[in-house]
Amino acid sequence: MADLFDLPFEDPESEPDPAPVTSAAPEPTPVPTRRILTVSELTGEIRHLLEQEFFEIWVEGELSNCKVWNTTGHLYFTLKDKSAQIKGVMFRTSLRLLKFTPKDGLGVVARGRVSVYDPKGEYQLVCEHLEPEGLGARQLAFEQLKERLAQHGLFDPTRKRPLPPLPRKIGVVTSLDGAAVRDIIKVLRRRYANAHIVIRPTRVQGDGAAMDIMRAIRSIGKVPGVDVVIIGRGGGSIEDLWAFNEEVVARAIAGCPVPTISAVGHETDVTIADFVADLRAPTPSAAAEMVVSRKDDFCTRIDRLEQRVNAAIASRLHRAEARLRWLEARPGFGGFRARVAMRGRHAADLDHELQRAMRALLASRERSYQRLRLTFEAFDLRRRMGRVRTRLVAAEGKLTAAITRRRHAADGRLRGTAARLESLSPLAVLARGYAVCWNAERTQVVRDASSVSAGDRVRVTLHRGELECAVTTSDSASKEQDAPYKRL
Amino acid sequence: MDATIKDFEAAIAELEGIVKKLEEGDLPLEQSLQLFERGIQLSRFCHARLEEAERRIEILNERGELKPAPASLSADDDRRS
Repeated sequence: MADLFDLPFEDPESEPDPAPVTSAAPEPTPVPTRRILTVSELTGEIRHLLEQEFFEIWVEGELSNCKVWNTTGHLYFTLKDKSAQIKGVMFRTSLRLLKFTPKDGLGVVARGRVSVYDPKGEYQLVCEHLEPEGLGARQLAFEQLKERLAQHGLFDPTRKRPLPPLPRKIGVVTSLDGAAVRDIIKVLRRRYANAHIVIRPTRVQGDGAAMDIMRAIRSIGKVPGVDVVIIGRGGGSIEDLWAFNEEVVARAIAGCPVPTISAVGHETDVTIADFVADLRAPTPSAAAEMVVSRKDDFCTRIDRLEQRVNAAIASRLHRAEARLRWLEARPGFGGFRARVAMRGRHAADLDHELQRAMRALLASRERSYQRLRLTFEAFDLRRRMGRVRTRLVAAEGKLTAAITRRRHAADGRLRGTAARLESLSPLAVLARGYAVCWNAERTQVVRDASSVSAGDRVRVTLHRGELECAVTTSDSASKEQDAPYKRL
Repeated sequence: MDATIKDFEAAIAELEGIVKKLEEGDLPLEQSLQLFERGIQLSRFCHARLEEAERRIEILNERGELKPAPASLSADDDRRS
């Protein structure tokens, strides 16, 4: 029955089913006799059995010997596991529907039926659909991990930390080979030219990548000054991005001492890392944009605040000035100096009042002066205040000097009077070298040598201090009192 | 930097508070002047902080050492600037 010259296992859609061989029932024989089948008949029966038994099956294994025939476009392959293998074919029409390219070494799950290739007497898997093995398992792992981490509170919105408005050092955990690192650097430089970037290179795909990323996050979190970390990579297949779905990476992100931004793949790629990070960026470039505002924006914001401070203080000073003018205009203000003088108020009082008046006057004049200035020069209130203060200090200095002079003058007068008083004192002559001699009891001044005799004690008062003296001789004979002067 | 200013964020927040107080409060002159001085100080601090960060790229290796990044990493950027 089989068409030996046909290509093996033609697509059933392009060719009608071969005539059922099984209908070739054994001829009724009167006597039990040998039933001899042709090879074709036997093969047909085997085919029938296999096709009945295995007409819709799923089988998993590893692809090998994959080959697409040029002429037909069908795929021929061997599906194998550790101890067995089966040949297989996938017709062009089914092959076209696959979203991936079957390759040697790929673990797959195949759906199809078993049939027989008559010309070679081989059974084969006629495959209708192939899917890469493990995809389903991965999806399951993803969901399970997501649920577990959610239960542990790792996705809790209250855990999300705000990014620092102006990071000191920006940490980046990614591969040095990919485009991601360049994109990040480019954007950071554009927005904030003097950004300080610390990159911790890591593998981002393949065996051990997850552990590598975990270690990288841990170590960059410890670098002093790094206060935000971007963790990510460029786009790739779901297998390429898989490390970012591993629990060790998720835990490391959650444990990072500074805020994190995940930036894995493209906008449509969602990984566990995205759920755990404080912020999720659709792409690495977007992460760089999130991490720092434009420097210009910062400057504008601060300048605006400073302008408002300036305006507010200017308005406050204006009000103070108005009040000063009102005070100045009050009657009696100008006369108080005279009053103070007349009443002979205490110097401290005078000082105080004068200073106040001077301050008021100075401040008022300074305001007028500064108002004029403002129309001419840049509005730098800080410098203006500095100048006001300098002038004020200078004015106070002059005032103090004047008052001090006045005090000195008073002191001088007082000292003069005291000096005059002193010159009238009988004791003043002592200062000029005279001494007063008293009797021992200091009750009488000794005016006559005869009033004392040798052995008596006398006291002598000097300009400074007193002496107690013993008289050795007493010459009562009259002597010229001014003799010492003559000697001199 | 001034020890009384914690960081950039705190400085901005304080500056905003000062602006608000000065704009709405009818404060004594002396207090207004003090706030004004502080405001200017904060503004200067913020500007200084913006200039402060060093334009630098470093690589943290597996031994935890910081090394300058190869120039090729930011080559695009350098060409432009």
